[in-house]
Amino acid sequence: MSAALAKRRDEARMIFEGRGIPTRRAEEWKYSDLKSALGEAGLGQEAAATRIMGLPQGLEFADLADPNAPAWVSQHLGTLARNAVSEASLAFADGGLALRVPAGQAIAIPLALELSGAGHLRLLLVLEAGASLSLFETGDTAAPRNAGIEIVLGEGAALDHVRLTRPVPGVQVEEIALSLAAKARYSAHFASFGGKLSRLELTIALEGEGAEAHLSGVSVLGGEAHADITTHIIHRKGNTHSTQLFKKVAGGKGRAVYQGRVTVAKGADGADSRQTAKALLLSETAEADLKPELEIFADDVKCAHGAAIGDLDGDSLFYLRARGIPEADARALLIHAFLEDALTNITRDDVRGMVRNAVGHALAALL
Amino acid sequence: MSSPAQLETKAQVAEIGDKYKYGFVTDIEMDMAPKGLSEETVRFISAKKNEPEWMLEWRLAAFRRWLSMKEPKWARVHYPQIDFQDAYYYAAPKNNPLKQSLNEVDPKLLETYNKLGIPLNEQMALAGVAVDAVFDSVSVATTFKEKLNEAGVIFCPFSEAIRDHPDLVKKYLGTVVPVTDNYYATLNSAVFSDGTFVFVPKGVRCPMELSTYFRINASETGQFERTLIIADADSFVSYLEGCTAPKRDENQLHAAVVELVALDHAEIKYSTVQNWYPGDENGKGGIYNFVTKRGDCRGDHSKISWTQVETGSAITWKYPSCILRGDHSVGEFYSIAIANNYQQADTGTKMIHLGANTKSRIISKGISAGKAQNTYRGLVSIYGKAKNARNYTQCDSLLIGGNCGAHTVPYIESRNPTARIEHEATTSKIAEDQLFYCLQRGIPQDEAVSLIVNGFCKEVLQQLPMEFAVEAQKLVGISLEGSVG
Repeated sequence: MSAALAKRRDEARMIFEGRGIPTRRAEEWKYSDLKSALGEAGLGQEAAATRIMGLPQGLEFADLADPNAPAWVSQHLGTLARNAVSEASLAFADGGLALRVPAGQAIAIPLALELSGAGHLRLLLVLEAGASLSLFETGDTAAPRNAGIEIVLGEGAALDHVRLTRPVPGVQVEEIALSLAAKARYSAHFASFGGKLSRLELTIALEGEGAEAHLSGVSVLGGEAHADITTHIIHRKGNTHSTQLFKKVAGGKGRAVYQGRVTVAKGADGADSRQTAKALLLSETAEADLKPELEIFADDVKCAHGAAIGDLDGDSLFYLRARGIPEADARALLIHAFLEDALTNITRDDVRGMVRNAVGHALAALL
Repeated sequence: MSSPAQLETKAQVAEIGDKYKYGFVTDIEMDMAPKGLSEETVRFISAKKNEPEWMLEWRLAAFRRWLSMKEPKWARVHYPQIDFQDAYYYAAPKNNPLKQSLNEVDPKLLETYNKLGIPLNEQMALAGVAVDAVFDSVSVATTFKEKLNEAGVIFCPFSEAIRDHPDLVKKYLGTVVPVTDNYYATLNSAVFSDGTFVFVPKGVRCPMELSTYFRINASETGQFERTLIIADADSFVSYLEGCTAPKRDENQLHAAVVELVALDHAEIKYSTVQNWYPGDENGKGGIYNFVTKRGDCRGDHSKISWTQVETGSAITWKYPSCILRGDHSVGEFYSIAIANNYQQADTGTKMIHLGANTKSRIISKGISAGKAQNTYRGLVSIYGKAKNARNYTQCDSLLIGGNCGAHTVPYIESRNPTARIEHEATTSKIAEDQLFYCLQRGIPQDEAVSLIVNGFCKEVLQQLPMEFAVEAQKLVGISLEGSVG
């Protein structure tokens, strides 16, 4: 471990110990009381693991625990934005993976990655200029788990990311911090079925002209599942572009949370941002909380957000029933259609099929 | 078509014309409380106003609570620490006995009103508006009282209500904004100087628009207004509030509390035009406006509608809200917030849906220019029992120049599957093609900006009563002068 990295980890430990585990009194954690969900045990200091299923050719990897890890690891690890819990993963995760796609390499085969075990883990992914990769992320149901992921995209690099998790009985939190150079592109889909407390937080810095981030996600929550997706996209340079589309269905005592903040820095003229979050509540005890936030410091921008929470459209339901479709089937059809909208963002057909399957199963259990 | 009154209003507005002209101070002897804030100050104010024991106790309880509270820091506003001991909490014009007619009012006061454009002498003709003018902290003249008396409407200074209608005050005071609500509301509860009390009895449609002009005058005197409006079953009242303040270098604190109560089938329409001194082009001076405004739709089918045009103040911290408790009750919030130069505005609303079939509508237009920061902060919360609740929210921001900021922070919470909430927000700038089109047709730049911005705000301006709409449109233009080009 380099001295610089050791220092970063020490700082992270000090910051985390100073702040402690966030409670709902922290505004960003208002809808996800991590401290009370974890109880006495807290996050612990165990180390979880990252497993990859087959290493596609052209991809370099290093073990974060390896004291002789290559220079690019300590150059990037722990340098991106951190929140309260990723301070902890940086401080306590003993291992984890670092992956690099060298400049100009396009990796054709998707990389399958699984997060496993309870505890803290760290992942670093570097795509150098012009490189491209497709990442498929899954995770087991071990809890509590705290994953800190850093993704660095060089100029013109492109990353396609799909995350599909299973319903988790415990607490899982994950923070993904990204930095995008000019013309880099990040496209991601997050399918979530919740946990006792489940939170994914993305901090995306569009650092270069023309960088783009496109996010979408679906959540299907039943029982007492909670799923929080919190995003913060920072348009630091001009002509940057971001879109977000999140669809949520909550039944039982499910609780769907979306908090999305878009910041346009001073001088980032030509920034364009679209943000949509919609939720459907299926029971008297379900809850949805949406907070789409804009923070604009430049005038030549196009920024909009829309949010809606509601019931199925009565007219559509009537139309289907008038054609002899039983009400339950008609409702199911409309709910599938509501979510399908957000799945179209997944570019690979095989991956989209897997996500659609998981959504189908979760809905079947709910309806 | 225009009545003499309307023409006069227009003439006054035209006079406001070129720039902020309320930068003068009237030299009237003041009756001051000693500087600083302590139990003695609270007792002094209460004694000055000859208040009964229960009122003093209420104030003292608030003061003790306030001592244990912390100043809120969550809003997007920055200002130097306020020294609450370095201000006067009470100032009243010296000649204080109640007047029977306008002739008895201090001529200097009348002169001030005239400069402000509130011609007390002409009020009878002024579009049927009764004015309860507040000069610093004590109400000095109330007109149209007879006509209101006939209808049974109580419209009087707060101190008078404590004396003459203690049962009503006791029954409603602090029931919408509890003493413990927030730092500034608690401070207000301890030291409020005066304000307005309105009670509209069952089945009465208030025969005229009620209006109070607030005016801050004495240097270093915070103004702590308290307004309580109660609309009993099946009644209707429209209340207008407008503000101006003289030019001063030191920041002045204003922490008002407004409480509205609407019972079954009652409706309250509350309109505000706020153009207090915003500070100069370099951000020096200006009013700190920390206001708590809340309406309680306590009865079924009741309605409360807030309309505000906020152009003044160095700092605005204000969230007029509605608690939709009664079934089928309706809450509305229409807002224009303009921040120029170094102004900071953090304003919005809360719509709390508790009852079934409740509806709310939020239209917010934020305009930022110069180096100003303008934030919309709002909450729409649907509780479990609010079956079929509906909300529609639209928040639009307009930026003029690349050095200002426009921010939107909406919280949307639903716990009922039959409720429907829709929220939309956009951010844009003054389109160059629109500006070009106007200039090309010989409309000067400032006028063109005013025209375009007024178009942007149209949906809100339409909600204002006629007397205010004219003034407000003009103000929108004045506030943004010189901000383009």
